[in-house]
Amino acid sequence: MEIPIIRDVLEESNLRAQENRALFDKHGVFAVNIMSSPGSGKTTLLQKTIPALKERGFSCAVIEGDITSTIDSERLQPLGVPVVQANTEPFGGDCHLGSHLVQAALKHLDLSAIDFLFIENIGNLVCPAEFYLGENRRVVVLSLPEGEDKPLKYPLMFRECSVCLLNKMDLAPHLEVDVERIKSNIRKTNGQIAILPMSAKTGEGIDQWIAWLLRARNGPR
Amino acid sequence: MHELYIAECIMKSVAASLPGDVPSDSVREVRVQVGQLDAVIPDTLIFVFDAIKGKSGLPNANLSVEQIDVKCRCRACTHEFGIELPVFVCPQCGGGDVEVLHGRGILLTGITVENEEAKEDGNSDHS
Repeated sequence: MEIPIIRDVLEESNLRAQENRALFDKHGVFAVNIMSSPGSGKTTLLQKTIPALKERGFSCAVIEGDITSTIDSERLQPLGVPVVQANTEPFGGDCHLGSHLVQAALKHLDLSAIDFLFIENIGNLVCPAEFYLGENRRVVVLSLPEGEDKPLKYPLMFRECSVCLLNKMDLAPHLEVDVERIKSNIRKTNGQIAILPMSAKTGEGIDQWIAWLLRARNGPR
Repeated sequence: MHELYIAECIMKSVAASLPGDVPSDSVREVRVQVGQLDAVIPDTLIFVFDAIKGKSGLPNANLSVEQIDVKCRCRACTHEFGIELPVFVCPQCGGGDVEVLHGRGILLTGITVENEEAKEDGNSDHS
């Protein structure tokens, strides 16, 4: 017997994400899902972003996704903001954060006291792009040493994000990398994406990233 | 590798879609469509589906995966076009504001279950 069906396989995952989003909306939290390859500078970005937002009077929190270890959470502890570690190892070592994991992490946060929630996804340019977590915006960090071809190799990630932070610009003089070609390849995958060159290490470009965050938070969510 | 998680989601979708009087072990085939943009490798998805199906209550099910090509529409000139390379630029007007019409997402499209008569007849040939 044939049973014809049309059903989104990620229906349950998306339902959890919508529940997360409803919580963000209820408490006025602006949630940002930060994705990238391993080592492109997501944690360093947060080390620079959170103090800059705190200076402007905003409160922040972080959900720190990793397959295993608390190394990144420990790096963020000195910032004095709530950091919830979400490891996927107990869930089979998934290479992305799922909406159910974010939901579990949210139980450890006082959302009414948070303006910006950063969800640092697991370092991976493929899988995290697939799964909606309930976030307001998706951000991809691409660092110069990764090369010009990455947007064309991982198009879904660049299509899914509103902004690409082109990180480690301080290394440009030392690398045989064509920054304009990277930008052109990013735009080939997504003509609407904002591209912000920066160096989380030196602080170059952080101000325009903060300005982007504030505009996004104040605009239509 | 997100195929394992997706295989688990497929199992849950099948369980939620089966009529109440149909036992899950009577499921012979599960059909899904996977968009080319989703970067799901069909052979890997089938491999992990087979690896977990025994524990997930679908021990007799085979997974059939159909890949769906990417088709886009330019928001500026409404031209519709397919893409082979991951370049989302309108070939007609050169615009970059392009929506994906299909080729993104994972859909459960059908299930084949063994009917009771076949079981009673002792007919176990489902090839």
